[in-house]
Amino acid sequence: MDNTLSFTKPLLETPFHKRTFEACYNNDWYRWAGYKIAREYSNTELEYTSMRNTAGVLDITPMHKYDIKGKDAIKFVDKLVTRDVTQIKPNQVMYIIWCNEDGNVIDDGTVFCFNTNHLRIFCAERNLNWFCDTAIGFDAEVNDVSDSIAALAFQGPLSCKILHLLNVKNIEHLKPFFFDSFDLNGSNVTISRTGFSGDLGYEIWCNPQDALNVWDSLFKFNRDYKVLPAGMNALEMVRIEAGFIQPNADFMSAEQALRPNRMRTPFELGMGWLVDLNKNYFTGKKSLINLKNKSLTKKLVGLDIQGDKPAIGSVLYDKNKKEIGIVTAGMWSPSLKSNIAFGYVDKDHMKIGSKVFAEIYHPEELEYKKIWAECLVVKKQFFNPPRRHKVPADI
Amino acid sequence: MKSKMSKTKYDVAIIGGGHNGLTTACYLAKAGLKVAVIERHSYVGGAAVSRELHPGWTYSNCSYVCSLLRPEIFRDLELSKYGLQIIPYEGSATMLDDGRFYAHYSDHDLNYRSIAKFSKKDAEAYERFSKDVMRQCKIIKPLLKMTPPDPTSFRPKDIMGLLDFAKFFAAKDELGGLGEKEIYDTIRFWTMSVRDYLEEYFESEVVKAHMAGSAIIGTALGPYSPGSAYVLLHHYMGEVDGTVGAWGYSRGGMGSITRAMAASLKASGGDIIAGSPVTKILIKNNRSHGVVLENGDEIFADKLVSNLDVKRTFLKVVEKENIPDDFYNAVKNFKIRGSSGKLNIALDDLPIWKSIPEGDPAGTGDLHITQSIEEMESAYDDWKDGRWSKLPYVDMCIPSINDPTMAPQGKHYMSVFVQYVPYNLADGGWTEEKRLEFGKHVMNRIGAYSENFNDIIKHAEIRTPKELEEEVGLTEGNIFQGELTMDQLMFNRPIPGYAQYKTPIKNLYMCGSSTHPGGGVMGAPGANAAREILIDLKKQINTHYI
Amino acid sequence: MKKFDVIIIGGGHNGLVAACVLSKNGNKVLVIEKNEKLGGLANYSEYLSNISQEVLKELNITVEKNTSDNFVSALSEDLNHTVLQINGSKNVQFLQTSASDSDQKSFINLINKYDLFARTLRSFMFKKPPRVKSGSRSDIWQLFTMGFKVRLLGKKNMRELLRVIGLNIADDLEDNIESDCLKGLISNEAVIGTNLGARSPGSILNLLYNQATNNSFFRINKFNTNSFLKSIEDICKKNNVEIQTNKKVEKINISNQSVNSVLLNTGEQIETSAIISNSDPKTTYLELVGASNLDTDFIRRTNNYRSRGTVAKVNIEFKNDIKIKNLESKYLSGKFVYAPNIKYIEHAFNANKYNKLTSNPCLEFYINKNKISANVYFIPYLKKSSHDKEQILKNIKLILDKFIEENQILSSLIETPNDIESKYNINGGHWSHGDLEIDQLLMMRPFYGSSQYSTPINGLYLCSAGTHPGGGITGINGVNAAKQLLKDKGNG
Repeated sequence: MDNTLSFTKPLLETPFHKRTFEACYNNDWYRWAGYKIAREYSNTELEYTSMRNTAGVLDITPMHKYDIKGKDAIKFVDKLVTRDVTQIKPNQVMYIIWCNEDGNVIDDGTVFCFNTNHLRIFCAERNLNWFCDTAIGFDAEVNDVSDSIAALAFQGPLSCKILHLLNVKNIEHLKPFFFDSFDLNGSNVTISRTGFSGDLGYEIWCNPQDALNVWDSLFKFNRDYKVLPAGMNALEMVRIEAGFIQPNADFMSAEQALRPNRMRTPFELGMGWLVDLNKNYFTGKKSLINLKNKSLTKKLVGLDIQGDKPAIGSVLYDKNKKEIGIVTAGMWSPSLKSNIAFGYVDKDHMKIGSKVFAEIYHPEELEYKKIWAECLVVKKQFFNPPRRHKVPADI
Repeated sequence: MKSKMSKTKYDVAIIGGGHNGLTTACYLAKAGLKVAVIERHSYVGGAAVSRELHPGWTYSNCSYVCSLLRPEIFRDLELSKYGLQIIPYEGSATMLDDGRFYAHYSDHDLNYRSIAKFSKKDAEAYERFSKDVMRQCKIIKPLLKMTPPDPTSFRPKDIMGLLDFAKFFAAKDELGGLGEKEIYDTIRFWTMSVRDYLEEYFESEVVKAHMAGSAIIGTALGPYSPGSAYVLLHHYMGEVDGTVGAWGYSRGGMGSITRAMAASLKASGGDIIAGSPVTKILIKNNRSHGVVLENGDEIFADKLVSNLDVKRTFLKVVEKENIPDDFYNAVKNFKIRGSSGKLNIALDDLPIWKSIPEGDPAGTGDLHITQSIEEMESAYDDWKDGRWSKLPYVDMCIPSINDPTMAPQGKHYMSVFVQYVPYNLADGGWTEEKRLEFGKHVMNRIGAYSENFNDIIKHAEIRTPKELEEEVGLTEGNIFQGELTMDQLMFNRPIPGYAQYKTPIKNLYMCGSSTHPGGGVMGAPGANAAREILIDLKKQINTHYI
Repeated sequence: MKKFDVIIIGGGHNGLVAACVLSKNGNKVLVIEKNEKLGGLANYSEYLSNISQEVLKELNITVEKNTSDNFVSALSEDLNHTVLQINGSKNVQFLQTSASDSDQKSFINLINKYDLFARTLRSFMFKKPPRVKSGSRSDIWQLFTMGFKVRLLGKKNMRELLRVIGLNIADDLEDNIESDCLKGLISNEAVIGTNLGARSPGSILNLLYNQATNNSFFRINKFNTNSFLKSIEDICKKNNVEIQTNKKVEKINISNQSVNSVLLNTGEQIETSAIISNSDPKTTYLELVGASNLDTDFIRRTNNYRSRGTVAKVNIEFKNDIKIKNLESKYLSGKFVYAPNIKYIEHAFNANKYNKLTSNPCLEFYINKNKISANVYFIPYLKKSSHDKEQILKNIKLILDKFIEENQILSSLIETPNDIESKYNINGGHWSHGDLEIDQLLMMRPFYGSSQYSTPINGLYLCSAGTHPGGGITGINGVNAAKQLLKDKGNG
């Protein structure tokens, strides 16, 4: 793939582009970290359904990948993130978030442990400067290896079965949040049992040269098991159902927020379970200890909304019509047959079971209709099937 | 625009038809006052002019790009109706000696990759830098519209003003609550050198040099001088349709702005008396009541507003015996140093650059020649010693690429801004010979980066600070009507105690860039002055700005 | 293992003063000094220009004063030297000069103007700097009083203060004075020890600041350094402060964000619940505390702190007693300045900007019979290389030859900022442990998150010149840091 800098080609193409380009009938592209990624290949509903029914393939090559190498690799990551990672084992994956000194979240991601001297962090935003500045004083070298690794998410109830059919040895025994090297149809790949979908699923990391082989392999059994490439719209649907929040969508990254009050602490995001205040010092610990003892003024919660009109961007009110928050993401969930959303609510409404109201503007044949919908505050994780956690996984 | 001697007495006469003078006049005329603008040239515009100095070519021969013009003024004066159109343009580039070039593009991802070519870290840091500078822009924006409060005064108006000022720092609304950290960041930004400031973000020399350019244009500071980061803001706080930091051309050259203002003024019933300079302001009992022109005409007005810089106003047209000594000395010590030169070049063809490929949008925006901040600083060292820079910082643009009205078909107009050129040369003064030598020096520098530049020059207008002073009347040829350093900003601008557009002489006001918030084709000083005058006249007007 | 209430890292004067205050309040204090001799940078001069009254009062000491006449000679190449006698900033007399009468008058007026402003600054600069927006009532009150004190200057003076505070010294001088020599003399005061040239905005602020901390215009010798150091050492001894020299602290051990011990280069580990670091902020945070205990944003700020030294200390021994051409020998006891005009200073500064060695440095020196002890600037701190010291000496010799009657150099000692860095463990070898520019002053000194002598680490305090009000041998940093510690402990 020719990815040299030219003004005629502002966007990069991933190693899968040859295939995604063919599959993207709609020619509807999304910019992700400077790459062209399909927003919708042909039909979002179908792409979504493949991830919930068979398996969907997502090109996630634009994920940022940072290699951490050196004697202090683990110590460095431990200083960076809010969780205790000192006990991480080779082949283990951990979900991590990191904060700035005020305890505001910068980004989330996963860390892969190859060995005690070599870890790799995957995340959605660029973090090279933050990582390098955090590495000062540690024997740990941070390298951006984003361009040298191609990646696919392979998500859905049949994902394990198809990998098994492709003779990926013992794939069913790979536990959630673990990874290993495998042979996939002649290509040496790294497969982790991770993903954004909240369902059984894997992420496959390979050399850019092997990309097309890996892609083609996953569709090898399409006659029997319909696997579809899935675009960003479908991904957005599954991640909301799974209760995963996203920086610069549900909150502003602390490194990027222009207005200081747009930043959020892990507690406000409902990620308090990721904050270990008894571990070694990490950036933001001091502030988080203080914050822990203060009551929250706002919190991101799940909302179950009356009716079926998506509430994204709606303002939330209490029963006296006083503004108490805003919806950050919302959708009609085909799996749950519910109108679900994430939204910020104030301190009086953050308890599960509280009732708030959303003012939804919904277009109907050129005219916006105002809908006043009651919302129930619920847990953010809307969808969490047992097959997601099962070991060995279904083949 | 020809002058017609009129016996009528005006409510307000404005001395100088620059963009600020015209802005003041327009607002006052809108309030129903009888207004005249007195301009020494046969055309209005001051430093925002379009002139045909070579047949077929239109030169924006002083200011050349536009972004600071406050949109409220644009709207209030209905400038669109009178023909003003701003064309945003794409990108900017710095050409390097090694044949490479560094470019900024309006496409976010292309821009990232363009910076990443030099440093991945810097490409990422650029986002953080933009965010931090944007925050500073948002802080300063309401200050532009404000009449600076006098911190020494106990009048309720000033105390409220100071509280307002404090409010920006304590802001809870628009900026989402600046904390202690953000307040310190602001103080740092206002006082640091641009080099120190950029070093906190970037590692690549080229990246830093590209950004630092905006901090030295028009100033008598080097990129290592404390306070230069603030000047950066003066070039970043502009906007074209809400895109903060974006620059645009005024279609038909910068003169279109002032032409539209003049038309707006006439439509509101204002007069323009052009063709003869004011030689004296008539003052009796410490009150001004009129002016005398060079042609002998006398024009009387209840209130006078000077669009001239503060030095020209009080050292040239107001007689010394009319002003207190303290004020006179303060004016004399006002710092207004020329540091910039300008070349306006008529080109037979488009220049072909050695580094930037044809068609690359980076080549259609601002083009800089500089290698590093260090080189820019040493260019400043030359200026301090009274020489033009051996390796001047050159900021070029070719408006005719985007604006079809500037040059004949297939031909082009190039505007070249040069930093640094002193007003006084150490080895004797400027001579015609030296002026040409300076022009040659700059053209040679540009020529070294181009395949054909030297062969396509049809005509070149070479302007040193001397020419700028002579043509536009800016003392020492300072483009901002006074330096933008801490000692001459806010309540210190132009003279401490006289920052509220008033002067020691009753009925005489100031509205030029010598006043807060300073230079750039912004219109804010003019509009602020109009507001103060209307307050004094107890007149109300319902516009977006005032 | 021994245990102390407070350990003080570095036996510079500020560290010792802090030790005095703490021990007086009944704390068991240990001072650890890397070198053989206590006093740190204070040893650089025989005399001090100021020891803050607050310190003298707090410690209840008297320090031997310098009795000699206070002469300042500005050397001029045409040998028409200017000599001033200074008795307090209000009383400056010209003993000889080539400057015109009106220039002399303007010069004195200017000095008086600066003195007025410096006194305003002084009225609040020896206190703990208030933080903005901390919400604490005392901070708000202090900000208010600062504003009020400035207002007390009256309209005209207040306006002038608000103007010159952002101005450069060259402009103000050129507006008022003609004589190159006098302009050079004042500019020299405004830029020595800084990374500013005479034309850099902020140089007047630096001048006022120096004047305020030193309580005199030309940093006149008023106090005997040894007497000062001896009296604070005596207090330490009397109060049973333990002092260990020739030992270097390698690391501050921290658990749970609180200090618990220090590790020495000897391998010893000493327990404590509180530490005051007399080391500069960069060394304290990056080396002693270590990045693993600090937030990334904080490390960014630490790295951005500007502390590049620009002054070299030079001692030269000549064969014969030194005589200055065309100058009466009675003036030899005073201070000599060679900074002949603004352009000269600016050129010396230019080289410094690019990390180069100027061939025409500025000099400030004292003569003691056949010895010269000089401050030479601008000699920049070099990050990855070192200066050719012979070249520096040659440059100085060329300058001195213009004024000194034929003499022969026997020996010389040159300490560049790099040497100061390694000898005293001051990052960058900066006189004041960091540039005194607006963004590194008051509540912003050394930087956000570390002002008011506190640090992000519980029990760790800073008392070096890297804290407010900066350098100058005033001792006030030590007193303020100690008081902050006592206040936090609840027995202050």
